[in-house]
Amino acid sequence: MSDRKITVEFNDQIVRQFLLASVLWAAVGMLVGVLVASQLNFWQLNFQTAWLSFGRLRPLHTNAVIFAFVGNMMFAGVYYSTQRLVKARLASDFLSKLHFWGWQLIIVAAAITLPLGLTRGKEYAELIWPINIAVALIWVVFAVNFFWTLAKRHEPSLYVAIWFYIATIITVAMLYIVNHLSIPTSLLHSYPVFAGVQDALVQWWYGHNAVAFFLTTPILGIMYYFIPKAAERPVYSYRLSVVHFWSLVFVYIWAGPHHLLNTALPGWLQTLGMTFSLMLWAPSWGGMLNGLLTLRGRWDLLRTDPVIKFMAAAVTFYGMATFEGPLLSIKSVNALGHYTDWIIGHVHAGALGWNGFMAAGMIYWLVPRLWNKPLYSTSLANLHFWLGTVGILLYVAAMWTSGITQGVMLGATTDNGTVLAYPNFLDTLNTIRPLMLMRVVGGGLFLVGWLLLVYNLWQTLRGAQPVNGSVEFYADSHEAEGDTRLTLIGAILNPPVLFSVLGTGFACAWMFGANLVSIAGLVGTILCAILAYAHWESRGQAWGAWYDKLLVNSLPFTILTFIAVVAGGLIQIIPTVIAHRAATVEDRRQIPYSPLELAGRDIYVREGCYTCHSQMIRTLVPDVLRYGRLGVTADYSRLGESIYDHPFQWGSKRNGPDLAHVGGKYNHVWHLRHMENPRQISVGSNMPSYPWLLTSDTDVAALPGKLSVQRTLGTPYPDWTPAQIGKLVNDQAKEISADLKASGAYVAPEKEIVALIAYLQHLGKYETVAPAKPVAAK
Amino acid sequence: MTPTPPNQIPEDALRPHTYDGIQEYDKRLPNWWLYTLYVTIVFWVGYWAYYEWFRVGLNGPQAVEKAMARIEADKLAANAANKLDDASLWKMSQNAAFTAAGKATFDTTCAACHFTSMRGKSENPAAIGPDLTDTKWIHGGKPTEIYDLITKGVLAKGMPTWGPVLGAKKITEVTAYILSKHQEGEPIVLEAPAPAAAPPK
Repeated sequence: MSDRKITVEFNDQIVRQFLLASVLWAAVGMLVGVLVASQLNFWQLNFQTAWLSFGRLRPLHTNAVIFAFVGNMMFAGVYYSTQRLVKARLASDFLSKLHFWGWQLIIVAAAITLPLGLTRGKEYAELIWPINIAVALIWVVFAVNFFWTLAKRHEPSLYVAIWFYIATIITVAMLYIVNHLSIPTSLLHSYPVFAGVQDALVQWWYGHNAVAFFLTTPILGIMYYFIPKAAERPVYSYRLSVVHFWSLVFVYIWAGPHHLLNTALPGWLQTLGMTFSLMLWAPSWGGMLNGLLTLRGRWDLLRTDPVIKFMAAAVTFYGMATFEGPLLSIKSVNALGHYTDWIIGHVHAGALGWNGFMAAGMIYWLVPRLWNKPLYSTSLANLHFWLGTVGILLYVAAMWTSGITQGVMLGATTDNGTVLAYPNFLDTLNTIRPLMLMRVVGGGLFLVGWLLLVYNLWQTLRGAQPVNGSVEFYADSHEAEGDTRLTLIGAILNPPVLFSVLGTGFACAWMFGANLVSIAGLVGTILCAILAYAHWESRGQAWGAWYDKLLVNSLPFTILTFIAVVAGGLIQIIPTVIAHRAATVEDRRQIPYSPLELAGRDIYVREGCYTCHSQMIRTLVPDVLRYGRLGVTADYSRLGESIYDHPFQWGSKRNGPDLAHVGGKYNHVWHLRHMENPRQISVGSNMPSYPWLLTSDTDVAALPGKLSVQRTLGTPYPDWTPAQIGKLVNDQAKEISADLKASGAYVAPEKEIVALIAYLQHLGKYETVAPAKPVAAK
Repeated sequence: MTPTPPNQIPEDALRPHTYDGIQEYDKRLPNWWLYTLYVTIVFWVGYWAYYEWFRVGLNGPQAVEKAMARIEADKLAANAANKLDDASLWKMSQNAAFTAAGKATFDTTCAACHFTSMRGKSENPAAIGPDLTDTKWIHGGKPTEIYDLITKGVLAKGMPTWGPVLGAKKITEVTAYILSKHQEGEPIVLEAPAPAAAPPK
């Protein structure tokens, strides 16, 4: 036992930087949010300007809130708490700086490119490929800095917050890389490697788990540090931490398909998505319980301490949102709520309530410590809390009412269920307008509250001196070091891990195996559960000792976490990618786009049309009645109808009607007038006008490169020369232009609107694939 | 029954380790929480068995095809039951309740192209829809012809197929409303569409 005294000075400079960046980007992100929310009520706020239109600003809002606001907040919280929990300064000041400035540069690049219409067309994954690479690199910088710090730690055992940080870092890296696999066609444009149903599955595996591992797990880690600190109370239950951590990270990954319920996604994936979402309820509430019950004995702080107010409310909103999530994942509930404002309300209960309030609580707690000066005004912080709370409640209540109202109206039928009661989509939209306005008020209040925080911080920071925390301790020689070391074999070959892995394996054999394999799988799963229970009853102490040992071995811990998070994705994605290709499609197969139509599709993606229009007629009667074609029996979207779509455009929200089968429904001049000013055609529409499509020229020069990438990705295009492509484009564009002229509206064939019309008229064109002989049918 | 290890740590005992001053209790998992978890696991097994193993439950496409087949049958039965002829449609056009209902549908659904005045291209040459108040008709002006046209549409000219969207009842009402702007027995002048677009079908 040595008594060498060690002093560690923490790198709190980086924490201050991330914290201030988070405060700033939050204000920007929320401001854009209030603007896009207002645009839905007042189309004039699109200002007839491309870079201010809803379709381009909505991705800016979501990306700013997720990656700029919560991202920076997460890095501040992770860096502050990790240094203290492991008694070590961040490994590298250089990497910390690189991480900070790299991340800010990415945000600025995003804020410039998204309004310019440079996008990949996938939600929360819109950023173009050069920025994707930068994000991946900076994330690696974060990972190296973090794990290097763990390697240098003076606290051998890892606290629960660190578990959540580890899960965050490895899982986000995995999700981000797979969902951003693309082939560039130019410096600013690329096509995702997956298409149609595969792209949908990968996208929502990513999208759902970005919520899980970017907005939830790091914030849970932050909760596990800051709530016990602020309340000065022990964490409620270590055992609950263990159980809910492992169940959360394992189950979360499987639940992605709940974003695609009742769509063309294969049924077994939908079933997995729904049932695993329900199984996710308890693990999520484990986190809520541990957060709230840690306050036992200090509930009085709720009256006096704004930090505790914010954090207790945040955890409550977390509980509310994680109850609502499983509820919305039930197929019949989802049939009503999906594509409506209910989902928008759900995510904002999470983003404003859980993330926004955890951030505010953490910031109010950190600022006096990072600048060694009391907060300028506690009453302003209290006012912020109440403004924010009223704002969230207005927002969420408005969106619940709006979503359920619109969902019920869209699904309502008359004449013995054979005809829609509200055939005009605009009737349902105009009914919810007052609620959309109430949402703007709620969001506005939340923003005003945040601006109070900004002012409070400004006043606090004026004249304050930043201070860096430090810790002194006596070096421990770890006499028991030999006993605590856990090899990789030891980490895997032990009862808890073996029972889990075998149980999962048997369960998969039951679900996916045929006949005997299936029955053997079920028997194996049940045996595993019984044996595990019996073993734990008799040897529970050994399990506990093994876990204590695991906690001082960060590498085996990380590997086990990775195994837990990788399972669900592998089991869902690999069979889908292998089974659902154009060659194996049955029933309907998409007819590939002509070059002009492909150019039109890229315009559709650029303008962010998918932020308001889905291209997925679900297997639901109201969807088929509303969007199906006359004379086509049961005209719901088939899996094969988007099999060449890189990226898929099934959408997640219907601020306007579905477009999957819109081709041929209206004539060319209808589309022209509608895009020029939607209110000419649809009285009361809230869609932006797109006058610039009538004046800008289609980018034909880029088509040879784009078509060659499409061919590489498997779309059956012939090996056209650029001249042939030019001729194809010209012929089709002239035909459309002539038809427009005959209808009394002249537009030159080279204008973008012509390409867009060509694309829209192609939507829904398919050939019928009989198992043996393919028959063409338009 | 909540499983507990045999040498259970007494309630409210703190774990020996502290992290930056943070201590941890090791409370038992709440029973209701555990049962929530177990019930959802059991639900998963049952739901999977019902839909994916024994395939008792219909999958999405099967269910929607079954429902749509019923709807088609109902529509066919309803069409057979209400025989519409010119005389009955003219009669409906005299009925205020019918024409008021027709106007409500017309103003939200048809007015975008034909205007609420029903005068379409006569009011503004740039309009998509023709005038419905004059005696000139492109696709026939007999009441049943108007009814059929609304039902089937003329895709080439931008007239959508309203049959599946509006249903027989609403189309009857709209037809009655249009007829209310006309007199029974007035001349019907058949003419080609104003600017020659696609040949009329």
